[in-house]
Amino acid sequence: MSIIGDILATTRDDTPDETGASVTYLIRKANVSHSRISKILETLVQQGLLEQMTSERACKYKISQKGREFLQAYRGFREFADTFGLRI
Amino acid sequence: MEFVLEIILNLIGFVVGLAIGIFAHVGFKSTGSPTLFRLTIAFLSISIGFGVVWIGYMAESLIIHEGKIVPWVQTLGIGITTVGYFFIAFSHSIKSFFPKSRYFKSIIVPLFVIPGNSIEHIIRSISFILLIYGTIETIMSYMENRKGSTIFVASGLGLLALGEFLGWYSVVFPGSLLYFISISTKIVGLGALAVPISKVPLMGMKFGGSL
Repeated sequence: MSIIGDILATTRDDTPDETGASVTYLIRKANVSHSRISKILETLVQQGLLEQMTSERACKYKISQKGREFLQAYRGFREFADTFGLRI
Repeated sequence: MEFVLEIILNLIGFVVGLAIGIFAHVGFKSTGSPTLFRLTIAFLSISIGFGVVWIGYMAESLIIHEGKIVPWVQTLGIGITTVGYFFIAFSHSIKSFFPKSRYFKSIIVPLFVIPGNSIEHIIRSISFILLIYGTIETIMSYMENRKGSTIFVASGLGLLALGEFLGWYSVVFPGSLLYFISISTKIVGLGALAVPISKVPLMGMKFGGSL
């Protein structure tokens, strides 16, 4: 769950340019393997939380409006779990 | 006076538990987090447990008029509430619930043995242990994150534990102030549990389907 939060937060706040974040960049930020992040990114695109931007060089990912709303809710619930000393 | 305090305590417990339980459920539906699922079960159980006892007291004061709540209703309510406390403790990992230390056992075992003649008091003892466990784990989390809202939860669970202990101990001194102190302590504890949820930034939050 926290990996998803990290990926969405990176694509919202920390992209290197306006075209979005590359897989390599996201791997470095979320600190997960390529195979694992590929599955997560596929799910997030399917769920409409991320937008896949295909360019000549590589696939890049940008957060969607639904992703922004999810990230805001996720942070609220993470805060809620934190108050109980738990991790979401 | 005793009836009024019990009705207030159980109504507050029902409302606070329901509010936190619904919030955790919405979180679970939105994020699919198992932690939030366990908190949903925990607080809905706590709410239902307090609700059952509240209904018992209301039925007694409005319909039955025997001067005492039906014992099995009280036991059922406390039992359901204990399930809720179990899930809070379980969320913090139950691995150290039955430690091998003889010293620790010497503290825990009497809590089960002394009130062994009553199911209600056994359940109260279990509630006390689970609440203490949850309190300790929450305090340890506070030591890590230093969030003010976490200390409210720790205080709430601690006060509920103290209330349970005093309620159990008041059996030894029936008719004393201990019982009223026990109920008052639990009311304050429930209030402390309700504080953090009021601080969660809900403004502008939109909830969609599960991930």
